[in-house]
Amino acid sequence: MKIAAIATIYHKYSHAQHIVDRFLEGYGWNGRHHRPPMELASLYVEQCGENDLSRDRAARFPSMQIVPTIADALTLGGSRLAVDGVLLIGEHGKYPTNEKGQHLYPRYEYFRQIVSVFRTTGQTCPVFNDKHLSWRWEWAREMYDLAREMGFAFMAGSSLPVTWRTPSVEMPLGARVREALCVGYGGVDSYDFHALETLQCMVERREGGETGVRWLQAYRGEAFWQAHHERLWSRALFEAALSRSHTLTPSRAGFNHVFPTLEEMKQLVKDPIAYQYEHGDGLLSTMILLNGLVQDFNFAAHLDDSREEPFSTQMYLPMPPARTTLANFFSPLVNNIEQMFLTGRPTYPVERTLLTTGLVAAGVESLHQGQRRVATPHLEISYQPTPESTFWRT
Amino acid sequence: MTPGATPLRIAVIATVYRYRSHAQHFTDRFLVGYPRAGRWHRPAIRVASLYVDQRPEGDESTDRAREFGLEIYPSIAEALRCGGDRLGVDGVLIMAEHGEYARNELGQILYPRYEFFHECVRLFEADGRAVPVYNDKHLSYSFEKAAQMVSDSRRLGFPFLAGSSLPVTWRLPDVELPLGCEIESALMVGVGGSDAMDYHALEAMQCMVERRRGGETGVRAVQLIDGEEVWRAGDEGRWSRELLEAALSRSDTLLGLTEQDGRTQDLLGSGELQRLVSRPAAYFIEYADGLTATLLMLDGAVRDFCFAARLKGSPDPVSTQFFLTPGPNVTYSACLVAKIEEMLTSGRAPYPVERTLLVSGMLESCLLSRFHGHERRLTPHLGVQYQPPNEPQHARD
Repeated sequence: MKIAAIATIYHKYSHAQHIVDRFLEGYGWNGRHHRPPMELASLYVEQCGENDLSRDRAARFPSMQIVPTIADALTLGGSRLAVDGVLLIGEHGKYPTNEKGQHLYPRYEYFRQIVSVFRTTGQTCPVFNDKHLSWRWEWAREMYDLAREMGFAFMAGSSLPVTWRTPSVEMPLGARVREALCVGYGGVDSYDFHALETLQCMVERREGGETGVRWLQAYRGEAFWQAHHERLWSRALFEAALSRSHTLTPSRAGFNHVFPTLEEMKQLVKDPIAYQYEHGDGLLSTMILLNGLVQDFNFAAHLDDSREEPFSTQMYLPMPPARTTLANFFSPLVNNIEQMFLTGRPTYPVERTLLTTGLVAAGVESLHQGQRRVATPHLEISYQPTPESTFWRT
Repeated sequence: MTPGATPLRIAVIATVYRYRSHAQHFTDRFLVGYPRAGRWHRPAIRVASLYVDQRPEGDESTDRAREFGLEIYPSIAEALRCGGDRLGVDGVLIMAEHGEYARNELGQILYPRYEFFHECVRLFEADGRAVPVYNDKHLSYSFEKAAQMVSDSRRLGFPFLAGSSLPVTWRLPDVELPLGCEIESALMVGVGGSDAMDYHALEAMQCMVERRRGGETGVRAVQLIDGEEVWRAGDEGRWSRELLEAALSRSDTLLGLTEQDGRTQDLLGSGELQRLVSRPAAYFIEYADGLTATLLMLDGAVRDFCFAARLKGSPDPVSTQFFLTPGPNVTYSACLVAKIEEMLTSGRAPYPVERTLLVSGMLESCLLSRFHGHERRLTPHLGVQYQPPNEPQHARD
């Protein structure tokens, strides 16, 4: 089995390095150094700076060709599709940002070129798209529709849904979820996506499955604290999420771990952000970014069941360079991709990422429009989760 | 806490109370709370008194006393009596880690754990009442003293808990060896200096292997080798390459080329391991029932603590990482504080102190082996037998 990788850039700790390296070098999995049973045959990299690693990798792995075009990556220079899977990694690299602050990564553009080869050759193969589908909702939807129409396996998204959890728990399938919340960190049109995927991989397991989202409203700065004060999101869930964090910034000198007061939080978090949104079935979800207070992603939900406390966990990212040297949350992601390439079936639904892509765009839009509530009739995306868990447990 | 109920009162006996010392980590959790099972838990336990052996620059004990209304006493006896004439607390924490103490010729830091404990025992005897004691880390650098501590706790019948955070922290993945399993071989990878980090690694290994069929039977011999000998021992099959691969596959902190350009590595298969680790050490632990377990200290290769074992009847090794959560929160210490609290409130140690007794002894004997030319040492004194707790004790909820 041969696969192709299409990347914006390939340097240390870029997504392409994390993902492609795991196909080339193997990775720790189930107590072994696992080598994916497939050959990375071709690599297209759009930007090669001084810190480029693609040439080093090609030199060490001569079976991998660096090719000048996306079409070449898929056909290996011939007239037919010559690979059995495609990695589309459009994260990192120098790309412009628009007036709303979105990075204009060319995922859609790459995808179109891939599809063009599929059309020309009359052949298709599974495609994995790293992170969200496109910064522009219409393009994301088109990617999804094209994959459906042409009938190839398509998977996308973040590592958050598939990484370790502390504790190692899954949302019970068919749970009645009253409210859900994620506290994470990072920026708009960046880690907000990871936090949204964290939420979505959990709430999609609720009774009836996913029903889509009706509206979203962003809160930032003072408006965030006001909304927090008015308990627009559950204080109990907020505190449960913070209690799952391993990285709570000490709010007091001389203490290594204290629960901050609201005033202390305001001191630490200069630019708090929330996206709150209502699902089609009425569920309220809130994605919160608290830069300055946490550096991890923590989920909490009120369930209608016998438990007294919120259901909560942390999606743990062994994140280099401060904590680890390896971003091993890419290992379960690569493992899921491998399975899709081997079986021709995604291991979890791309509709999750279609929805979170739309939520990122809606969040950006709401912020851009002065934190107005934006209606999201286009996000009426219903889907069912996979009954089996796909996060890292072994 | 039930409204109106009187909180339990504890005394903390510490070597030093500075930022990020063990005393600060543990005692603060009783003062300001800690995360437990998804909520910020505030124990119904009051730190009533404090004894601090050394108060160097950066001492925080005075600030804590002022803010939280606890008394600092000049002696252990007075701390336990809270300045009165009888034992005035419901539990004692002995936090004798960090601070300036001498090392002996084996390289052990002579923390006065036994001495602190002995003071407590003398006072328990004098006052005719004993209360639960938690001893941070190993019991004593000397097995003889450690055994005396355990024997005193039995004689006076008070709950006694000790040890490292590693047995109780999160595991990646969340695995526990089945109780009564048959272990064919076990291997632990650790890093850091002796006798601090090798102790943690040995205790992590011990909390896994004690679950084997028949429970713990004690240790009959140990040997510590280092340098090139360690690789030769691997070639000769004294430790398992398969288990080392399994343990390393759980690491998130491979060094060398990974630090250079982020790549994943098969450190063992590529031979990089030997290039990276200039001073490997192997601690061979031969148990009375025939099991041999090996701790490999591999400074330079990784920065985390991982375990692997081959179980009879399983095609693949079991392996996991003992997750040392990041600083400064070090939430793994919250996992241990939850166990201490459990002992204080239930009057029962959640896992046997004999584990820590045995580990204290195996560490001392390993260091003696190194001191005496890396000889294999018979350890008839380490016939410490015990049964593991039925329920897993590591962080899972």
